[in-house]
Amino acid sequence: MSAAVHADGLVKTFGRTRALDGLDLTVRAGEVHGFLGPNGAGKTTTIRILLGQMRADGGRISLLGGDPWNEATELHRRLAYVPGDVTLWPSLTGGEVIDLMGRVRGGLDPARRAELLERFELDPRKKCRTYSKGNRQKVALVAAFASDVELLVLDEPTSGLDPLMEAVFNECVLREKRDGRTVLLSSHILSEVETLCDRVSIIRAGRTVESGSLADLRHLTRTSVSAELIGPAPGLATLPGVHDLTTDGTRVRCQVDAGTLTAVLAELAGAGVRTLTTQPPTLEELFLRHYEGAA
Amino acid sequence: MTGTWTLVRLILRRDRVLLPVWIAITAFLPSSIASATAGLYSDQAARDAFAAVSASNPAQLAMRGAIYDASVGGLTAWTLGSSLALIGGLISILLVIRHTRAEEETGRRELLASGVIGRHAPLAAALAVVLAANLLLGLLSVPALVAGGLPAGSSLLFGLSTAAGGWSFAAVAAVAAQLTASSGTARGLAVGAGGLLFAVRALADAGGIGWAAWLSPFGWVRLTRPYAGDHWWVLGLSVAFVAALAAAAFALSTRRDVAGALTPARPGPAGGTLTGPFGLAARLHRGTLAGFAIGFGFVGALLGVAARGLDAQVDTPQFRELAATIGGADARISDVFFTFVMYVLSQLVAGAALVSALRARGEEGAGRAELLLSAPVGRLRWALGHLVFAIVSPALLLAVLGAAAGLTYDGDVARVVGATLAYLPAVWIVVGIATLLFGLLPRLAAAVSWTALGLFLVVDLLAEFKLATGAVLDLSPFVHVPALLLGGGASSPVLPLLGLTLVAAVLAVAGLASLRRRDLMPSA
Repeated sequence: MSAAVHADGLVKTFGRTRALDGLDLTVRAGEVHGFLGPNGAGKTTTIRILLGQMRADGGRISLLGGDPWNEATELHRRLAYVPGDVTLWPSLTGGEVIDLMGRVRGGLDPARRAELLERFELDPRKKCRTYSKGNRQKVALVAAFASDVELLVLDEPTSGLDPLMEAVFNECVLREKRDGRTVLLSSHILSEVETLCDRVSIIRAGRTVESGSLADLRHLTRTSVSAELIGPAPGLATLPGVHDLTTDGTRVRCQVDAGTLTAVLAELAGAGVRTLTTQPPTLEELFLRHYEGAA
Repeated sequence: MTGTWTLVRLILRRDRVLLPVWIAITAFLPSSIASATAGLYSDQAARDAFAAVSASNPAQLAMRGAIYDASVGGLTAWTLGSSLALIGGLISILLVIRHTRAEEETGRRELLASGVIGRHAPLAAALAVVLAANLLLGLLSVPALVAGGLPAGSSLLFGLSTAAGGWSFAAVAAVAAQLTASSGTARGLAVGAGGLLFAVRALADAGGIGWAAWLSPFGWVRLTRPYAGDHWWVLGLSVAFVAALAAAAFALSTRRDVAGALTPARPGPAGGTLTGPFGLAARLHRGTLAGFAIGFGFVGALLGVAARGLDAQVDTPQFRELAATIGGADARISDVFFTFVMYVLSQLVAGAALVSALRARGEEGAGRAELLLSAPVGRLRWALGHLVFAIVSPALLLAVLGAAAGLTYDGDVARVVGATLAYLPAVWIVVGIATLLFGLLPRLAAAVSWTALGLFLVVDLLAEFKLATGAVLDLSPFVHVPALLLGGGASSPVLPLLGLTLVAAVLAVAGLASLRRRDLMPSA
């Protein structure tokens, strides 16, 4: 399958800061690709290079088979973008902005526009200066979802949305996927990416540290288990799928693969449990672990 | 008022370059003009003659008001009083709006308001800084004046009068900031009020209705009469004006929400008809342009009325002599007046054009260009959409100014419009400079462009006082504009105008070329 986005060893420096330091990214056509990383990792810089708004200092990049810098205008006919920090024209209404973006992108579907406005509960008659951050994001999202394009580039699109609207957003992305569109979704929320994405790329400090399907990255979805026990649980160390086990007197902590969870709980129950905490790993833990592994 | 001090420090931090530069330049001007005056007109007879010529020149009266005393101090206060109030007033308006309404509009105020910041703290902090800065620049000008041999008491009053000019407009801006949700509109309201108050004072002094000068803060700045009787109590008028407006602003701010306005935003259309970047640019420019057109039309009409009958009214030997040196032996006095005033007004038109020329950079800085340029809109097409308005709007404004002045003056519209439009290439140079900077140094474009325009004004001031000659004067494009009403000098006017247009075009093309090659740079 052809790649909607292919970046190879991207480098971008701002003064003495190296924002991108050999970043690789491949987004296949028709997939929803999660682009994960902590704040300042280089997600937005990568997207700006993809959109031809910045030029890379090194490396190669292709977008929908073209050169994003030299063929920007032609390529932009085939994509829609939602910035991470949406700023709109204060004197225009939301509806005017949606229609403006629709027209310059070559028309939008009026029925889809009406449906999206209703689902996102957005009043298009309000002036943009009166919108909250979430509402400005909705304006950009409605304009993007209602336009007929091959690729959607979404930069942390849910950072201003409440949980209800996040659910609406998730449905919209899944519908785009069903319709065969490609979505590049930048985020720092792992659960969002897990729900929506076929493949993920994780970046840190301008480099790609992990890339692959969610199944490939199963180890990223280990559950962190922490328990205070009554007796010893010697079997824990020998169970396959238990990682990073630490024992401190009666306290045990470990990372457990999803398939091993039942066996671990049985082992713990055998020893007698005083307290038990389990939680999915946070993104920060993933990066910490990655760096520990590298060192 | 909790948190005022914290906000004062934030403002000082954000304006750590602008404030010292503004204060230093304004504080330094009075003593340099005083020494220039003393040097140029070394004895009382020379000063009397200069004062007599100036007092019979309605353009001078309109710009600067009446001369109360022909001493070195008196002439210095007359030369600068009005200009310093104009500069200080404008900067004070911009600063107050920047730290009040603009903060609310961008939502930064919300971030602060969630901390321990009292409801009145932002306005109190902005006013405190701006009032203190004006006071400081007024006081700092005193030692150099005294060192130059001028009386200490009068110099202090002159300094305080200058401060009072800035104060008045800081207070006007404080009220304007409460009235609308948009910082642009608030800025327009305050600057418009300032322009109106200046026009009242100008008409009062040029039209021989002296009492009307008491109606304007611009009048009070001169009516304190430093070096000419020292009417200290007139300062009280400014203080009362500032206190009343500040109280009104605080009262208004308690009656509205953060980011809200007294005039609530009405809902607009649910759909739009904007078809592309040009339509959007038209929509963004049209309000400002209409406002400027009305303003310049009004000023032009006033100008024509003031000039009417001038030839008979000020037919003094001194002014005829002045007219002859400037415009040749048979120059009409009213034409000399027009030429003077046009010179100043053309730079105001350049200011208006600069607002349009910097709009594209504003869009880029705010991040709005990022969204638009992610669609199939070429950078050049986007930038040209804005540049067209920067090119056309000064043409329109100069034409409106000339037409209104011509209509109310002698009905010879074509002649006056021709004279105003002659300034168009010089204004385009300013637009060209802004476009070049937009391409090369986007983050500095606004600051450097406005500074360049300010320097052109300074060059003109230096020229007038013969402090500079030759090559330095050539730096200002406005110096090269032929005075068409006065016959345009010896040679053909076409050549300098073509030359200026060509330079402006080269600047703009170079700017657009570098825009195509550089990264987009949002401010954040």
